[in-house]
Amino acid sequence: MRPEHWLYTIPLRLRSLFRWAQADRELDDELRDHLERATEEYVAKGMSPEEARRRARLDLGGIEKAKEECRDARKVNWIQDLVQDLRFGLRMLRKSPCFTVVAVLTLALGIGANTAIFGIANAVLFRHLPVRAANRLVVIWINNLKNGWSRIGPSGQDYLDWKEQNRSFEDLFLFEHGTGTVTGAGEPEQVAGLRVTTNFGDFFGIRPLLGRTFRLDEASAKHNLVVLSYSYWQRRYASSPTVVGQGLTLNGEPYTIIGVLPPELRTVFPGDVVVPFDNDWLKRVDSDLGVFGRLKPGVTLKEASSEMAVIMEGIRHQRPDRKDFGTVLVPLETARVEYIRPALLLLLVAVGCVLLIACANVANLLLSRAVGRQREIAARIALGASRGRLVQQFLVESTIIALIGGAAGLLVALWATYLLTRFVPDRIPVPNAADYVSLPQLHLDVNALVFTLFISLLTGVLFSLFPVVQSLRINVNDALKEAGRGSLSGPRGNRMRATLVIVESALAFVLVIGAGLMVQSFARLLETSPGFNADHLLTLRVKLPNDAKDSPYREPRTRAAAFQRFLSNVQAVPGVQSAAFTEIVPLSQDDMDMGQFVIKEEPPLPAGQHLAADYRDVTPDYFRTMGIPLLQGRVFSEHDDPDNLRVVIIDGTFAQRFFRGQDPVGKHLQIPDATRPQREIVGVVGAVLDTGLDQQPRPTIYFPSLQSPDQTMSLVVRTALPPSSILPAIKNAIWSVDKDQPIFSVRPMDQIISGITSAQRVASLILDVFGFLALALAAIGIYGVTSYAVVQRIHEIGVRVALGAQRSEILRLVIFQGLKLASAGVLIGLLASLGLTRLMASLLFGVSAADPLTFAGVALLLFAVALLACYIPARRAMRVDPMVALRYE
Amino acid sequence: MSKPSDLVQGTLDMLLLKILALEPMNGFAVSQRLKQVSGDVLQVSDGSLYPALHKLEQEGWITAEWKTSEYGRRAKYYSLTRLGRRQLEKEADNWDRLSSAISRVINLKQA
Repeated sequence: MRPEHWLYTIPLRLRSLFRWAQADRELDDELRDHLERATEEYVAKGMSPEEARRRARLDLGGIEKAKEECRDARKVNWIQDLVQDLRFGLRMLRKSPCFTVVAVLTLALGIGANTAIFGIANAVLFRHLPVRAANRLVVIWINNLKNGWSRIGPSGQDYLDWKEQNRSFEDLFLFEHGTGTVTGAGEPEQVAGLRVTTNFGDFFGIRPLLGRTFRLDEASAKHNLVVLSYSYWQRRYASSPTVVGQGLTLNGEPYTIIGVLPPELRTVFPGDVVVPFDNDWLKRVDSDLGVFGRLKPGVTLKEASSEMAVIMEGIRHQRPDRKDFGTVLVPLETARVEYIRPALLLLLVAVGCVLLIACANVANLLLSRAVGRQREIAARIALGASRGRLVQQFLVESTIIALIGGAAGLLVALWATYLLTRFVPDRIPVPNAADYVSLPQLHLDVNALVFTLFISLLTGVLFSLFPVVQSLRINVNDALKEAGRGSLSGPRGNRMRATLVIVESALAFVLVIGAGLMVQSFARLLETSPGFNADHLLTLRVKLPNDAKDSPYREPRTRAAAFQRFLSNVQAVPGVQSAAFTEIVPLSQDDMDMGQFVIKEEPPLPAGQHLAADYRDVTPDYFRTMGIPLLQGRVFSEHDDPDNLRVVIIDGTFAQRFFRGQDPVGKHLQIPDATRPQREIVGVVGAVLDTGLDQQPRPTIYFPSLQSPDQTMSLVVRTALPPSSILPAIKNAIWSVDKDQPIFSVRPMDQIISGITSAQRVASLILDVFGFLALALAAIGIYGVTSYAVVQRIHEIGVRVALGAQRSEILRLVIFQGLKLASAGVLIGLLASLGLTRLMASLLFGVSAADPLTFAGVALLLFAVALLACYIPARRAMRVDPMVALRYE
Repeated sequence: MSKPSDLVQGTLDMLLLKILALEPMNGFAVSQRLKQVSGDVLQVSDGSLYPALHKLEQEGWITAEWKTSEYGRRAKYYSLTRLGRRQLEKEADNWDRLSSAISRVINLKQA
């Protein structure tokens, strides 16, 4: 009866609180109505209307006073009660410091972990990019599924065609990543840059910190304007406010600085400088550009995709080079986090489990504590306190604990976030697109505070649920009569405690399984051989500047010669075991190069069918430097130059797929089609993983760089020395040929590999911590319950011992009880895991989601932990003195 | 006419509950009914009637509804809830016991 009463009055009280204004108006109406009726009554008795009205008002005793008293009748109880509860709650917490400390610590860990993970998820997944209409921005790639190419950067002509023909987008934006050298003021500096279409400022709604961005009519090379990024402006110009209008020499040409970007754009444009595209040049840029579109309001992605498919159909007829190409549209915000989203979601679920376990523990603590207060509660009820009040008091107490736990949790979260910033990478790859995006900085903001508050209150409600419901069922008579015991120590209370511990154990099981699978995935990933020797390998990129009209590097032969000179100098550096240039470093996501080919000796394929493979230009020592095995034939030599026979080397995957059974050496390829001169296959090398450690190797054709020189190549150096000590010598070796040569993207191969395994690494690290936490909390839970059970049954134990039971029997009794709980937990956990691990399948590598070894191992671990947790209570039970126990009530 | 006696403290709630138990009515009608039935002995000042009604509503023993009466007039009508009915029984019981006890003491004959 009482709980319903209490529950019923809550909405009434809430209504009084929140619908104050309306309630007040109603009160007004009510009293006015009363006055009218009273006046009528008096008039009916013969008074004059004015007299009647006066009498009525006198009777009421003044409207305002009456109103005030009515308001009081609704309000005062509520607040006074609350203050009393608060004081009482705080006093109770102070009286049992042990309980309070343990509860607060447990909650702090659970809440803090949640806030920290929420912080990451918020920064990466939920927060919108700081640009205009971020949710309507879409990345547009082209693809060629016949050749197995899923995401390729379009060309300038594609962009122009799309811009003209589409009706789904408000605007289209085009950009190209690039690098350049800034000279003139001291040391030449390599800068990372972006070349953009002049709608740059308007497309993203950029409000420059200083100056302006480009005007639409400035898309011409003769202007040479540049916008600086915030970090570059800070670094190079010491945040000088007069930078606008100053000059800058970029790639040998004079540029004028027209503006500085605001700091919040750092994640979206992590470069140093931004320059505009020249419209003429745009038409000729071949491919590998980035295109974003802003959907018109109301246009869905699907509609836009369909329209683009139709437009592409038209383009295919007009331009033969686009045959078989289609478009892929992906929302920008989705594409940016594609790589890390599964891991983050996994962590969110995992940390939620940790919180539930923490709540279960605190609930158990509260239950145990409530037992001791049964008599006090019963007495208060007998003296007239309503159960509603008691429940309210209980809730206030729990909320206080939860809020203190939450505050402590904030500290935990701050510390955890600090640790995380050292592990979470600052940029992540975009799958299949040979590109990276920067992650925003992790820091706790107002959202995190709000989240912590919300979670604290939620946990407060959660863990007080059990004890509250239990204490509502107290039978006052029984509680007052029996010495110290009550419903909470009876079988119902025990069942509740046992249930909580079983749930905890099950959750811990699931978490540890997740951690175990993740750790194994990560290990297997790292164990996977990429096809080359990844140790002690240093890489860096060199781009020959040929922007200037008089640049010597416009001629392919001069380019090839330049790289030759760099290479021979580098090879002479002491400590360098071998060195080579390659177009693209495997696993680096720097770029992609692929195309079609024809095997001369094979019959032509039916019309419309093509063969495609990756292309790589490399210097002769590449295979030796990388440790890629030679399977057949020979590697390139310095004789494979433009004056001699055109040769290529294929890899094992290519040989297997296209030359099954036959010997490829001596056969010829025509690239990209049969109208081109043939190139002889002189060797077959081992396959190399290029796109990722968890991907399949792709068929690759290697070209000698002398016969196919590039503008940008990556230097790979095998050296036993640490990168920091040998790098200056290598740089000098290159600069001794050309002192203004840009060198950038210096990365040891280890760093590259850790970059593409960051999702698994972060996930397994954090899951390990959670798994450990979960096990510890579950252990504490089991310890608590077993301990309590021993105390409860001390009487019984004493009897048994007195009747001749061995100590070992007692031990077995207690341990058996603990193991019973653990087994139930393991069983439920097992079933739950089998269902849940399926969800993390996309993150697993080399280990199945139902790996029996892992499951068995975790089950054993949980039993071991349970055993450990029962140990102390068991020993205490063994030492029971029957004399003392029999006297214990 | 003898001076109307002050109501014993706390019984006002019970009286209001009883009146509303018979039929739902608005505040004015309650006060009229009380005066009428008690023969003007029990007079509740209007100023203390409404706070008491609001307190009863807050406790969940009565519930209120705005109705449009005859003449198109809007008024707030109170009625007893199930909880209120139980409360009324409880208080009526207590009152019985109290008043019987008092009567017994008062009617003691001299030994």
